[in-house]
Amino acid sequence: MLWPVKKVTWKVILAVSTIGLLNISNAYAEVAIVVHPSNTSSFDQSTIKKIFLGKAKSFSNGRSAILISTSAKDPVTDEFNTKVIGKSSSQVKAYWSKILFTGKGTPPQEMDSASEVIATVSSNPDAIAYVDASAASDAVKVVATF
Amino acid sequence: MKKLITVSSSIAMLVSTCVFADMRIGGYGSIIAGKTLGTVDDPLNPGQTRDEILTADFYDVGQYKNDITFKAESIFAVQATMDLAENFSATAQLVAKGVDDFEPEFDWYYVTYKPTDNLTLMAGRRNIPMYYFSEFSEVGYAYPWMRPPANLYWWQVTQFNGVHAMYDFELGDYSNTITVFYGNEYSDDNVEMLYYNKLYGGSARTVNEFWTDIAGMNWNISGDNFDLRFVYFQNDRDRETIQQDGSIDPYTPFSQTFIGLGGNISLDKFTLLFDWNFVDYDDDVGTEFPTYLLSLVYNWEDYQPYISYSKADHERTKVPTEDLEEHYMLGIGLRYNFLPTAAFKIQYDKFVDQGDKAGGWAYHGDSRTITMGVDFVF
Repeated sequence: MLWPVKKVTWKVILAVSTIGLLNISNAYAEVAIVVHPSNTSSFDQSTIKKIFLGKAKSFSNGRSAILISTSAKDPVTDEFNTKVIGKSSSQVKAYWSKILFTGKGTPPQEMDSASEVIATVSSNPDAIAYVDASAASDAVKVVATF
Repeated sequence: MKKLITVSSSIAMLVSTCVFADMRIGGYGSIIAGKTLGTVDDPLNPGQTRDEILTADFYDVGQYKNDITFKAESIFAVQATMDLAENFSATAQLVAKGVDDFEPEFDWYYVTYKPTDNLTLMAGRRNIPMYYFSEFSEVGYAYPWMRPPANLYWWQVTQFNGVHAMYDFELGDYSNTITVFYGNEYSDDNVEMLYYNKLYGGSARTVNEFWTDIAGMNWNISGDNFDLRFVYFQNDRDRETIQQDGSIDPYTPFSQTFIGLGGNISLDKFTLLFDWNFVDYDDDVGTEFPTYLLSLVYNWEDYQPYISYSKADHERTKVPTEDLEEHYMLGIGLRYNFLPTAAFKIQYDKFVDQGDKAGGWAYHGDSRTITMGVDFVF
């Protein structure tokens, strides 16, 4: 044995350091809510949550919101759902499957990459999306970060 | 294989007929296996034993017995929505169920018109918005359990042809939706009613069940951590039990009213789901069915352990008696969200039949059932 340490102790150290790593990565992944630069509507967390759950259908400027989401595989989706919606991604997916398969709404349109999200939002005055804050560019307007 | 071809060709047909429209395709499914764990005194044949039976799906008579089956609850559905104009669309759902040997059927088909952002009009075939989970009772991915409590979702009619008008509005911080609906259902060859006929020793050729002038409303209120739904509707009921010789059993039509309050409340890591309902007939004996569901789910990362209790009772107000149908189900289980679009579930159910044996009302019988499977959406 290389070190006079019990196996269990190693497991604990491993677990603690893994949790530590996860926390560090969480702290750096900031979510940005982005809209078209021409959109002057007001946004707070409650409004953003309602819009992304389809409960509020339009912005404060009166125009219908078009919801865009980043790929479910992108870690920012989990971040957004946890921080802004307050639910796990599976719970949000379950919520939307109830609405979609009873014809009462359409879930956000999922894009493959952050660059596709930015391109879509920058070319559509009524689009709203979330992206990893580091991916937001001047082509879109960041209205909130979480 | 033949069925698979039918499904694929139906989908292909759906796709090819609307190449010019914008179309969105999605779907859901559940592959579930299960069995009951023992035998029980046959409540309708005293002295004889039979397998414990759990009717998991009353409408389709999807049942678990001692032999493992995949057919009772497995389902595969494809939904296509054709956007014909910016505010006008047509939606169809092709559904294949194990109870029908996976023979696909168009279970849902309706058009949707949205004159404004807040008003939605729908016309066509949809589920009746009865219980809180009725409209999406077959979308397993949408709720934590294997199924909404089988001993409450027991009606022989679950769908209808009709119209819905939905209006969304804000009231303070709360989002509201009021839906009014009207429709009819002429359920020829009703599977559940024919099953009961045979269960009680009948030999009818078929049973046709009619629910007409179904008229009512839903009021949905949701806030940051809750969703509540009130339901009221009424309809007329009639039935034709057609015997082998073509004769029709006499039946006295009546009207029923259905009211209920259900929803969910999120408290930190817990979600409380509940549904209270009351069905009232204007028949000679004053039939009533009070039912309720209480369930608690613990949300821990991708794991959702849960417990649920559902109770159904049958009463008569004009001829008071306690000797009728009565039962409860206790379920414990776990949902594990192992993929962003799929969940594994395992559930144990204990069904306790408290009905009157002498009067033949304990016809379900006790059962203990294990089911496990995967729910998915795409």
